[in-house]
Amino acid sequence: MDTKEESKNLMLENKNNIMENVLKYLPVELRNLIGKIKPEFFASLEEIRLRANKPLMVENADGDWFVDQDSNITKVFTKCVQVKQEDIFRTLESMSQNSIYAFSDEIRNGFITLRGGHRVGITGRTVLENNNIKNIKDVSALNIRISREVKGCSQKIIRYILKNNQDIYNTLIISPPQCGKTTMLRDIARLLSDGIGEMQFKGVKVGVVDERSEIGACFKGIAQNNLGVRTDILDGCPKIQGMNMMLRSMSPYVIITDEIGNKGDFEAVMQVVNAGVKIITSAHGYNISELKAREEVLRLIEEKTFDRYIVLDKSDGPGTIREVLDANTMKVLED
Amino acid sequence: MFLKLIGSALIIITSGFLGLFLSKECGRRPRELRELQNLLQMFENEISFLSNTIADAFNKLSDYSTSSTRNFFKQTSLNLIKGKCCSAAEAWEAAVKENFEKTSLNKEDKEVLISFGKILGASDIEGQIKNIRLTCTQLKMQEEKAEENKKKNEGMYRNLGLLGGLALVIIIV
Repeated sequence: MDTKEESKNLMLENKNNIMENVLKYLPVELRNLIGKIKPEFFASLEEIRLRANKPLMVENADGDWFVDQDSNITKVFTKCVQVKQEDIFRTLESMSQNSIYAFSDEIRNGFITLRGGHRVGITGRTVLENNNIKNIKDVSALNIRISREVKGCSQKIIRYILKNNQDIYNTLIISPPQCGKTTMLRDIARLLSDGIGEMQFKGVKVGVVDERSEIGACFKGIAQNNLGVRTDILDGCPKIQGMNMMLRSMSPYVIITDEIGNKGDFEAVMQVVNAGVKIITSAHGYNISELKAREEVLRLIEEKTFDRYIVLDKSDGPGTIREVLDANTMKVLED
Repeated sequence: MFLKLIGSALIIITSGFLGLFLSKECGRRPRELRELQNLLQMFENEISFLSNTIADAFNKLSDYSTSSTRNFFKQTSLNLIKGKCCSAAEAWEAAVKENFEKTSLNKEDKEVLISFGKILGASDIEGQIKNIRLTCTQLKMQEEKAEENKKKNEGMYRNLGLLGGLALVIIIV
């Protein structure tokens, strides 16, 4: 009985969060339409897609759906509500608080982060200057990704990351897309930063280099996700400069960053390791062998940078642990 | 006799003060035009250096000034935050129209202000800065005209006050 009440309250809280932080920017008709979608669907809502002159669509864990005039979710797009380009302009103007000039950097990068950590992807016609993107004009679509924290999702793997009650292992989390890598990193940051009572682990200083603003989802510089009391975040900063700055200015015990594998990431990570600071990061891949095909990650593997490899997939929902390996012995610790 | 003396003194003093008051009023308009230019310069700083949104920048500005012109900015910020107006241009125009009477600006000044609002928030940073500078230039021209007016009229009003009072006394008494 209690958990039913609890989960109903949580659902309502979630819905209110989305209403206040996302739907209020939409034009009235779209706002009301989405607002009236049945609450059970709302609870698992992941994306709202506005495409000019195309039907309104929403997405959850079960796939994507059209929204019809009566706010019903359907797989058929005949009676569905069309989104006008004007709606998209208005939404973007509203989201940038009528001050589009203040968001030109974000628009250039293709996304705006809203209060609450929700992320709005923007696409359309780009305006180039010297081969770099100066602006996106004639926006043709918005992809609103609803952010959700999953507190406690790293409980099962945190013990592989802790060495003892003061020390941790350098860890690489490997998984294909949409399997919860970033959500895991978020939760790990929080646990390490706040400390884990049950394991007598005192909190440590965590530095997050959040190149794509996904881990912390900062709004006006403040993380919209709870990353822990001893955590400092560099938002939107490229990894090499970010690591450098973090090491020099925030004296972290561990640095957490997302998605290594791009050019320059080897240098960035080595900087951290050479400074005696721990590192926890993630990389795309289905397994460790696949990673070896990527040069930057291969070099890190060869240098024995990491002590732990954790492979995730979504066989049992996002965040399922497939394998945990001790990097030095390559012995499987869990399967 | 004594009563007549007091009466005439009162008349002269009152009209003297009236003259002084009108003379001071002449100085209000150029002062307000200067203050507007200052506030716009501060706005330019807020957006170019700090990348603040219009609502935030205007709110900050209006706290820094004591002039009656700050109401334009304060009201615009309120209009935007309360969500009454869809665009910054609408919010600004509504704010100007509502608070105009409390200032001593004239119709030409009002037109300059309303045309400032048309580009507010509707372009990139360079466009915003050009808009601000253009408006400041126009306000400066208005200020110079107002200064000339002031010089012509403030002496006149002061003297008119005293002399008028004297004339009244002579006629009545």
